[in-house]
Formats: sequence, structure tokens, C-alpha cells
Amino acid sequence: MNFDFTPVWENIPTLISGTGYTLFIALFAAILSLVGGLVVALTTLYGKKIFSSPLRLFIWLFMGTPLLLQLYLLYFGLGQVGILIPALLTGILGLGIHYMAYNADIFRATLQSIDNGQTEAARSLGFGRMQTLWFFIVPQAIYRALPQLGNNMIIMLKDTSVLSVIGVSELVLNAQFEISNTFRPFEFYIAIAVIYYILNLMLETSLNLFEKKLEGKR
Amino acid sequence: MDFTLMWEITPLLLKAAWVTVTISVMAFILGLFVATVLVIMRSSSFRIIRWPARIYISVMRGTPFFVQLLIFYYGGSAFGINLDAYMAGLLAMGLNIGAYMSEAIRGSLVAVDSGQNEASRSLGFSRTQTMISVILPQAAGLMIRSLGVLSVILIKGSSLVSIISVVELTYQAQRIISSTYKPFEVFAVSAVLYLILIYGVISFVDWLYNRYTRYLFH
Repeated sequence: MNFDFTPVWENIPTLISGTGYTLFIALFAAILSLVGGLVVALTTLYGKKIFSSPLRLFIWLFMGTPLLLQLYLLYFGLGQVGILIPALLTGILGLGIHYMAYNADIFRATLQSIDNGQTEAARSLGFGRMQTLWFFIVPQAIYRALPQLGNNMIIMLKDTSVLSVIGVSELVLNAQFEISNTFRPFEFYIAIAVIYYILNLMLETSLNLFEKKLEGKR
Repeated sequence: MDFTLMWEITPLLLKAAWVTVTISVMAFILGLFVATVLVIMRSSSFRIIRWPARIYISVMRGTPFFVQLLIFYYGGSAFGINLDAYMAGLLAMGLNIGAYMSEAIRGSLVAVDSGQNEASRSLGFSRTQTMISVILPQAAGLMIRSLGVLSVILIKGSSLVSIISVVELTYQAQRIISSTYKPFEVFAVSAVLYLILIYGVISFVDWLYNRYTRYLFH
């Protein structure tokens, strides 16, 4: 047994820059997946059939295949038809679209769980169909979806590590770069595991605080 | 779209899909074993036994599976242990899903009304008898559901072991692509195989749940 964590300390700037990228990717993928998920859910429930059926198929397909396969398909498959997008953008899109399907599924369930009386009351007070959705149904559905959405975001933060495979220089790839210089795989992987654990803990705590704060407002 | 190619590669991919199935099944069994131990440890009355289990679960759930996989495969050399790719993949999958499973099992046990436990104990059943013949049969319905969800996550996660060169569905797809340069067709076939696997498991779990709970609640 021989451990030597000094190479890790010497190369900590690389890991910090990787952490920055990981957070950047997670943030934009989260925005994409949340906004997109809500739009997809609303369309599948209330949209015209030409739009809702393909989106249902989208949810079904993306929830039934692994993220890695989707990333490869986006990165190499689009290359085959001549569309070349940079790895970072592919990563954000791939991760965002994957979790968009999961979030849409959650939004769909919570939108349907809102009592019909809410719609009836709003409609009989003279609100239009869109107004009813926007002012009454959607806010309640979002509130009910929050715990599960938070869960998904925690899983997504961890899944950013997979993007290293298509060459996005986030935490794992940066660590692998330093490993190829120092030949210390165990130490570096443990170090980034610790970083992920801390990030995860921070996200979990802030999500809990956010939910508590909202609860107080109601 | 090159349909003849898609037809030609199907047998190869089917063979690789079988590896995906076997590694997932074995990891599931390993995970169940780990989870049982963890659940028993967490219900212990000694803090020294409870805490290691809690730390294990927290670390396994708080760090990415991908990083754990890399630690198992590349990190072993720091201890003089060199696992082959298949073993490392299987261990990482089983030990990771075991942590999630223990939470699922504990959750379904806690969900059984505590009056059941009290009634059974006051009728003279021992703690073990109560667990086996009163609590477990009632918790099993919920357990089937949550373990079913985890088995789907397990199958999707198994695509990641392709990174450490275990020849399963995703790895085989990439290998075929490197000789045919047709990523879209190859990934489409493997996506179909994943869809069959995953929705097959989901319908099996639903069937099992319905069959089991039919006698329980009616």
C-alpha cells in the first residue's frame, strides 16, 4: 500500500477549474430540463395531438434508454449527418434533454393531481383557459413537484461526471488528465469523489432550506 | 439509414445485450445482499454498528456511480489489487445499488403501520417472527415497486461499465461503429434493445405487484 496525496494538492487548480465546469454544466442543464420539462408536460396534457403524441414518444424513448447512449447518439450521430457541435454544448444539451423527459413525467403527474375544482372555480370566475392554467394550475403543480425535481437535480449533478466520456473537461476529465501525468489514479479519484460529495451535500441542504422557506410562505 | 447493416449487427448486439442482462442480474443479487446487511445494521441498538452503515449509504449515494466505478477499476492498484474489468464493474454496480436498495427496503418496512408490530409482539411473537411473518409480507408490495425502479436504474447504469471495457451492449455498439462508421444505425439498434429490456422489466414488476397485492388488499 502506498498513498501519496501530494500530487493532488499540487494540481488542485485543475480540479477547481473542473469543479467550476461541472457546476456551470449542471446549472444550464438544470434550467433547460426544468423549463423544457414544464413545456413538454403542458403540451402532452393540453396541446394539440400533432404536438402531444411526438412528445409522449420523446418521454418514453428518453426514459427507456441510458444517458450514455443518448450522449453518444447526440455527439457521434449528429456528426454523421454533418452537424458538429462542441462537446460542452453537446453535454449540456444531452444532460438537459435527458432530465427534461424525467421532469416532464413528474410535472405531468403533479399537473394531473391538481383538483378539478380549481379549474372549475377559476373558469366560473371568468378566467380564460390559458389564464386558469397559468395563474392557478401551474403554480400549484410546480409546488407539488419540488421535492421530486430537487431529487432529479441531485442525480443530475452526479451524472455530469459521465460527460467526461465525450470530452467535456469537467471534474472527471481534468482528474484523468492529471492522472496521466502523475500515475496516481486512486488518490485523484478519491479527491474528486470528496468534491462531488461536498457539492452534493451543499445542493441537498440548499434544496431543503428552499423548500422550508416556501412552506413558511404558504 | 442503412437497414441491411442494422439487420446484420443485430445478432452481435443481442449477444452483448445478454452480458448487460447477466451483469445487471448479478449486481441486483449482490445489491440485495448488501442492502439486507445494511438494513440489519441500521436497526441495531448499538451506535458502533449503526454508524458505519449510515456512512456507507451516505457516501455511496453522495458520489457519482461513474467515479466509484473508476475507483474500483483503476484505484485497486494502490492496494496491490487488480480486478478485471468485469469484476470491477459488477462490484461497483452491486455495492452502489445496495446502498439505494437498503433505503428502499427500510422505507417500505417503516411504511407498515407500527400497530402491526405492537399487536404481533403483544400476541407473543418474537422480534424475528414478527418481522418475517407480519411486517415483511405487508411491506413486500411497496418493496417490489421500489426495487423495480432501482433495477431499471441499474440496467441503465450498466451502460457505464463500457467505459472500463466490459463488452456489454454499449461497448459492443461502439466497437461496431469503429469499423462501420455508422453511429446512428448502430445506436438505434442498441437503443431498441435497451427499450425492450427496460420496458420489459417495468411490465414484469407491474405484473408482480398486481399479482402480489391482489390477495393482500381485497
